[in-house]
Amino acid sequence: MTQLYRIAGLMVQMESFGRTVEQAKPYLTEETGEPDIVIHSQWQNLQKMAPHLSEDSCEYLSTGSSFYRQLLEYDGMLLHASAVVMDGRAYLFSAPCGTGKSTHTKLWLQVFGERAQILNDDKPALRLEEGSFYAYGTPWSGKHDVSLNVRVPVGGICVLQRGEENRIEPYSGTMAIYDILAQTVRSKNPAMMEKLLTLMGILLEKVPVWRMECNMDPSAAQVSYAAMSGKDRIC
Amino acid sequence: MLKLKDGFVLKEIAGKCVAVPTGSDIDFNGMITLNPTAKTLWDCLAQGAEMEDLVAALLAAYDVEEETAVAHVADFVEKLKGLNFLV
Repeated sequence: MTQLYRIAGLMVQMESFGRTVEQAKPYLTEETGEPDIVIHSQWQNLQKMAPHLSEDSCEYLSTGSSFYRQLLEYDGMLLHASAVVMDGRAYLFSAPCGTGKSTHTKLWLQVFGERAQILNDDKPALRLEEGSFYAYGTPWSGKHDVSLNVRVPVGGICVLQRGEENRIEPYSGTMAIYDILAQTVRSKNPAMMEKLLTLMGILLEKVPVWRMECNMDPSAAQVSYAAMSGKDRIC
Repeated sequence: MLKLKDGFVLKEIAGKCVAVPTGSDIDFNGMITLNPTAKTLWDCLAQGAEMEDLVAALLAAYDVEEETAVAHVADFVEKLKGLNFLV
């Protein structure tokens, strides 16, 4: 069934099934009007290329990829990250699969209790609106479907690495650009790639980026929160 | 003649000149950053150039010895060939 949703502030028309429909339910809208984004699922094509994936997974991945590709038209991009909200700011922890993004944000929930909530555990949408970056929950939020249908100003982005000790530092330069680019969707289309790189340039100007080596001890959450929220500064 | 394949997008991000391939012609999933001399050579190679043209471009833009320029050009072209970025 074709439905209208409001996702990342945009009217989205999508015809879907399975887990995608379930995860998208909180985003259903009663509004009417022309959609900003129409999602065309290509799950059959995807399944031809990746026969080991189920129909349901192909639908989820294909609709997500269609959404995030079109999001670029609205000054928005995907960052592969686990995003946690605390005190009205979103903190995004990004890393390649299997590094422990979700593990780290779970530590925030453990340490800070109800003050912290997961905004999106896998693919938050970032949008540049009136000169500031906001993070949004979306239906494409990972295996465990943890997401909030809200918009939150971005407080910082942190690239995670596993380490023995917990250590966080500001991150910039070529490697920071590379790591952010590696965790978003690259377009094969030059005009869209140009848009993405322009948006990334503004993102790196406006949003503080950090690099952290972390272990799985709850103190890791305290270390990242203290640095990224600025609460360890005396001023 | 030496020429870059089509489909590269060049952008200045956070003070760095970044080149990223698009299209299906280039099998490279990373990005490269260009320092000012590399950018000079890159611009020439986007149009198409001979080794002599590249050396001349460096000599015109920077205060370097010809020998240094020749070595620099050879090194850069070798890198691009290694990445299969040239036509």
